[in-house]
Amino acid sequence: MPNVGAELASVPFGKMIYDMASAIARSQVALDKASIQLVKVLASTTFEYVPDVVEVLQPNPRTLKGVTDSQGNPIVITGVQVSTDVGTSFPLTLLQAGVNPTFYAFTNSTIEVKMSITSTQESSNTLSVGVSVTASADFLFASGSVTSHVNFTSANKFSYSVTGSSSMSTTLAPVPPPKNMMPRFFLVNAMDPTKITISQS
Amino acid sequence: MAMQMYLVAFNGEFNQPMSRSVQHRVRQSGGYILMVMRTGIIVALDDSQVPTVQSHPDVSLVGGVTLSPNGYAAERLKRIFAENLSKQIEVKAE
Repeated sequence: MPNVGAELASVPFGKMIYDMASAIARSQVALDKASIQLVKVLASTTFEYVPDVVEVLQPNPRTLKGVTDSQGNPIVITGVQVSTDVGTSFPLTLLQAGVNPTFYAFTNSTIEVKMSITSTQESSNTLSVGVSVTASADFLFASGSVTSHVNFTSANKFSYSVTGSSSMSTTLAPVPPPKNMMPRFFLVNAMDPTKITISQS
Repeated sequence: MAMQMYLVAFNGEFNQPMSRSVQHRVRQSGGYILMVMRTGIIVALDDSQVPTVQSHPDVSLVGGVTLSPNGYAAERLKRIFAENLSKQIEVKAE
């Protein structure tokens, strides 16, 4: 008889888990390398940043031509004059501006193995027995004969099938950048060099 | 699949036709242009379309990016992205 336990034991779970873990590890390294490459690109991509635009609103009263009140005095309306001062632009990297690379991590992995074991056994036996007796007698002689036959047929049918399928799934999720992979920003205030602010994305 | 923000870095020296060609590929792939720079573009793109954009001969790298709220110009970049996105999204009246 087939041993279901032995069949299950023959499934190479250990190798499957190892192969999957190994593939995940290789993929993780490749993803991290791509993200680190992206850090370099972001750190070297600059654009001209205008830090501030100052708009000053000043009163600008004026009269409207040909418009007077009931006493014939010109009507004064409240006007406004906007003077704009655009701050000096300076190059800023995308990393400084706040664009961070996305890091990914495999969060959940599943291995699913399905097995179906079918075993059938049929046996049939047929036995037939026959006996024939003949006898004859006359004046001087007498004779007799006995014949018999035995037919035995035995048939055994045995079938055994094992089908199996396996599936592997894993979840890839974006995670915050690891601190060791991101640069630190040192902000030195030139007006007061003792004040240095250190930050990290 | 999810739409994500990606940096598409150019391959080699910047020129207008090349930049337009890459932007065209992004639009053909169902993506949106959020910001254009001399070294690349920041786009919103479906994950499944990344290989299509990556296969453009003038693209050296396509990598996912996020906007850090602590960034020096994060708020301003967000506004720029939103403004550029609004020009590309067609809103149909019901």
